[in-house]
Amino acid sequence: MIDFFTLVTVMLIAMGLFFMIVGSIGLIRLPDLYTRAHASGKCDTLGQAMILLGLIVYEGFTFDAVKLLMLIIFLYVMSPTATHAIVRAAHILKYHAWKPGEDRQ
Amino acid sequence: MKNVIDWGNPLENLTFLRPPVKYIQEIPVLLKMKGKERIISIIVTAGILFFFWILLSAYFDTFHLVAGLACAMIVAVLSHDLLFTKPVRGGILTFLYFIHYCGWLFIEIWLAGLDVAYRVLHPSLPIDPQVITFETPFSDDIVRTVFANSMTLTPGTITVDVIGSTYTVHALTSEASRDLTEGRSIEKRVHRIFKET
Repeated sequence: MIDFFTLVTVMLIAMGLFFMIVGSIGLIRLPDLYTRAHASGKCDTLGQAMILLGLIVYEGFTFDAVKLLMLIIFLYVMSPTATHAIVRAAHILKYHAWKPGEDRQ
Repeated sequence: MKNVIDWGNPLENLTFLRPPVKYIQEIPVLLKMKGKERIISIIVTAGILFFFWILLSAYFDTFHLVAGLACAMIVAVLSHDLLFTKPVRGGILTFLYFIHYCGWLFIEIWLAGLDVAYRVLHPSLPIDPQVITFETPFSDDIVRTVFANSMTLTPGTITVDVIGSTYTVHALTSEASRDLTEGRSIEKRVHRIFKET
């Protein structure tokens, strides 16, 4: 018999993996640096947070769970900042932004 | 070949890692807090540090608690003015708004992930990227950071550059850019938490 919390854990981690895979597919399919930053910045943050949330559910109410929660908060401050740093560097180097109808890079 | 970056001399091109001159002038002078303000600031900083100590160590015997308290007090006395550059303010209502904002942000992050997933997996790749620039009324550094990070996490937009209170944003679709320049829903929410900006 499968325990309820294990089931929730598996569902959360599966959804997290789905978003991670979508982020990777986006990295291949999208045309330029800025749009790829959309895919990796959003899907990966969501995917990682959901995997950590699944681990929290698996762990139960312990100190390790609180530490994982701190990790999620840290991730949500860090990920937009890192995305912004990469995109800003490209912007300062005057990297051309893709527009519809152009060739992909 | 217009999209190939001419890197040139790598050491000269690293200038973007240094903040531009106008940022250097903007860095606030640390306030020398006196009397009651200073005591409150030290106690709040020590409290936060001690809470973090307990969270990470998870030991509850006398030695670890006393050591943690001593370390928190020393660090707080030395560096409390780095955490609170202004006297502590804000009531319970601000905190409730902040909690409400976090809940809203969580839902927006979900929508952002689903939106990007839909566009990436759609066979015809329905994107219409554009770079837009707009003004905001925010003057405080923390408020600007919260706004920029919220914008990166919400659907369809990434903060590219912030100069003063002018934001340059890369939007994945034209709906997302229209929401920023006309709807301004994120801006209103951030404004409600930090009323005094």
